[in-house]
Amino acid sequence: MLSERATTLQTTNLWLIALGAAVALLVVLVATGTITISQRYISQMMIGVSVAAILVIAAVGLAIIFGVAGVINMAHGQFIMVGAYTAAVVGQLGGNTFVAIPVAFAVVALLGLIVERGIIQWIYDRPLETLLATWGVGIILEVLVKVIFGPELYYVGAPRMLDGGIRLIGRLPYPYYRLFLIGMAILMLAVTFYLVFKTNFGLKVRAVRRNRAMAGSLGINTARIDMLIFMFGSGLAGVAGAVLAPIKSVSTTMGFSYAVDSYMVIVLGGVGNLLGVPTGAFIIGEAETLIATGTNSVIGKLLVFVFIVVAIRIVPRGIFGYQERR
Amino acid sequence: MAMKPSARPEARGRRIRRTRMFPLWALLLGALVMALIGTSPYYGGTDSYVVQLIGKFLCFAIFALSIDLIWGFTGILSLGQAVYFGIGAYFVALSMKINYTLTHPTRYGGKIPDFMEWNGLTELPGFMEPLMSTPIAIIGALVVPTLLALFFGVITFKRHIYGVYCAVITLAESLILQDFIIEYQAYTGGFNGITDYGNIREPAFLWFIIAVTVAFFIIARFLTHSRIGTVLKSVRDNDVRAQFMGYNVANYRIFVFCVSAFMSAAAGAMYAAWVGIVSFLDTGPLFSVEAVVWTAVGGRATLIGPFVGAFLVRGLEFMLSGSWFADYWQFFIGALFIAVVLWIPDGIVGSIGNWLRKRRTGSVRQIREDADQRAHDQQRDWEPAGARKPGEEVV
Repeated sequence: MLSERATTLQTTNLWLIALGAAVALLVVLVATGTITISQRYISQMMIGVSVAAILVIAAVGLAIIFGVAGVINMAHGQFIMVGAYTAAVVGQLGGNTFVAIPVAFAVVALLGLIVERGIIQWIYDRPLETLLATWGVGIILEVLVKVIFGPELYYVGAPRMLDGGIRLIGRLPYPYYRLFLIGMAILMLAVTFYLVFKTNFGLKVRAVRRNRAMAGSLGINTARIDMLIFMFGSGLAGVAGAVLAPIKSVSTTMGFSYAVDSYMVIVLGGVGNLLGVPTGAFIIGEAETLIATGTNSVIGKLLVFVFIVVAIRIVPRGIFGYQERR
Repeated sequence: MAMKPSARPEARGRRIRRTRMFPLWALLLGALVMALIGTSPYYGGTDSYVVQLIGKFLCFAIFALSIDLIWGFTGILSLGQAVYFGIGAYFVALSMKINYTLTHPTRYGGKIPDFMEWNGLTELPGFMEPLMSTPIAIIGALVVPTLLALFFGVITFKRHIYGVYCAVITLAESLILQDFIIEYQAYTGGFNGITDYGNIREPAFLWFIIAVTVAFFIIARFLTHSRIGTVLKSVRDNDVRAQFMGYNVANYRIFVFCVSAFMSAAAGAMYAAWVGIVSFLDTGPLFSVEAVVWTAVGGRATLIGPFVGAFLVRGLEFMLSGSWFADYWQFFIGALFIAVVLWIPDGIVGSIGNWLRKRRTGSVRQIREDADQRAHDQQRDWEPAGARKPGEEVV
C-alpha cells in the first residue's frame, strides 16, 4: 500500500511538473512576445476560465461524495436542479442569489439526508447498484419537480449588484456574474478544503477515506461520516444549482449534462484528491472553449471526450488520483 | 465448448457439470410462442399493431440480452450501449431513406431525403453515397459499432479501467453521440429523427427477427455455458484471481464487449427496418439505462431474464400508455430502479431460479456445506497427475 502510494505520487509529481513547465513556458513565451496570441483567443481563454469555474461549482459536491463515501451519485444533476428550483422559489419570494445559496444548501442537504438514509445506506458495498438506484432517485426527482412546478421554464435573475461587467483587453465585455462564478468556485473549494484538512471532522473523513476498516476500529462512526459527507456534498450541489440558475433557464432536465460533465472532471482529475477538481475543470473548460471557437460546441465536447479517454489511458487514475480504479 | 469426458479418473474433480444446450423447457416455450404468433388473429393483417409490437419488443430484448452478456455475466456496466444500437439503427434508416427517396421521386421534389433538403443540401453528401447499396449499409451497421467497441475496449480495459469509470465514460459517450446527431441535423435528421422511409411491414420480417433472436439466444447460451462463460463469470466475481490463474482478463472483456456491441447493432438495425422511426433518443443515455433496467428487472446473469424484463416493462408501458398513469410512467421507472436494487437484486427470473434451487437442494447454506464436503472429499483422494495407481503395471 505504502509503496504503491509512493510510486503513484511520483508519477503524479512528474505530471504536475510537466504541466507546470508547459504552462510556465507558454506564459514566458507570451510575455516576451515570442509568440503572440490573438486577442480573440485571450478572450476565449477568459471565457474558458469561467466555464472551468462552472465545472468546479458543479463537480465539487460530487467529488467529495465520490471520493470519500465512494457513492456514485447519478442524481447529482437532479440535486443541482432542485437547488436551482429552490433559487427560483426564493427569487419569487423576493430574495436574490445570496439568500438562495444558504437556503438551497439546506434544502438539498436535507434531500441528500433522506436519500442516504432511505436508500444508499443499504447498498454502500455495491457501487454499481448504487449508480442504478441513484439514477432512479434522479428520475423520481425530475417527475416530482415537474408535477409541483409544471413543465414551463423558470428564469432567475442575477442579483442587481452583479449586473453589468468590466471590459478586458480588447474591449471584451466580461460580466460581473462570471467573476462572481469564479469567486464562488474558489470559495466552495476553499470551504471544502478547510473542512477536510483543517477540522476534526475532516480528519475523520480522511481517516475513513484512507482505511475504512481501521478508522472504524479506532472508534470513528464510519456510517455517520458517510452520511454527513453525503449531506455536505448534496448541499454543495444545491449551492451549485442556486449559483448556476441565473446563467441557465431552470428546467427539470437542466441537471443531467452538469452531472456528466462533473463526472468527466473527476475522471480526469482523479478521485480522492480535491486538487483534481480544479485541475480537471480547468483543462476541460479551456479545451472545450478553445476548440469550440474554431468549430462548434459539439465538436468541442467530442474532442474533449476523446482527449479524456486518451488521458486516462496514460494516467488511469486521473491526474491526481491514487486509489485503485474499480 | 465440448470438453471430452476425461478417461483419467484423477481428472474427475475438474469436470464441470454440463448443462444441456437446448433444455426441454426452452424448446417447449419457443414452440408455444411460435404457435401463439402463428395462430394469432392479429397476425394476418399487415398493419396489425400487435405484430409490430412483438417485433419491436424482440429487438429491445436482444438489446437487453447484449447488456446482460457484459453486465450480468462479465460485470462491465456500460451505460452507453445504446450508442451501438443507435449506430446500427441509423445506418439502416439512412440507407432505407435514401433509397426510398430515389424510388419515390413524386413524393419528394429532389433526389435527396427531405431532412437534407430542409437543411439546404442540394445533393447527397459524398460520404453517404455508399449507403445507397443495401449490403454495404447492413455491413456498416454491424461492423462499425463492433469496431468502435473494439477500439473503446482496447483503450479502457487494457488499462484496467472498468466498473464505475467504464459506466461514466460510456454514459458520456452516449450523451455526446446524441448531441452530435442533434447538431448535424442535415445528415442525421436531428431532433425529428428519420421517419417515413418505407419500413418493412411484411409479417415475414417478423419471422426473420424471431430467427435472429433465437440465433443470438443460442450464441449467448453457447458463450455463457462454455469454458469462455466460466472464465467470464470468474472475471466478474474476482478479476484479480482470474488474472492470477493466467487468463488475460482484458482480452476476455474486450471480446465479450465486442460481441455485445455486435448484438446491439443487429438489434438496432432490425429495429430501424421494422419500426420505421429512428431518432436521437435511440442512441441516448436514457435509452441505455432503461435497457439496463430491463435486464435488472428480468434478472441479470440469466439468459431468459432480459426477455422477461424487456417484454414486461415495455409491455406495461404500452398497456398503461392510454391511461392517466402515462404521465407518471417515468416515476414508475425510477421507483423500479430503486426497488430492483434494494429488494430483488437477482431480478424476477433470478429470484424464481433461486427459489427453485432452494426447493430442490435445500437452503443456500446447505448447498454451501454440500459443496464444501464435496471439495473436501475430492481433496482427500487427490493425487498428482503422474502418480501411479496401486496395481498399475509399470513397463
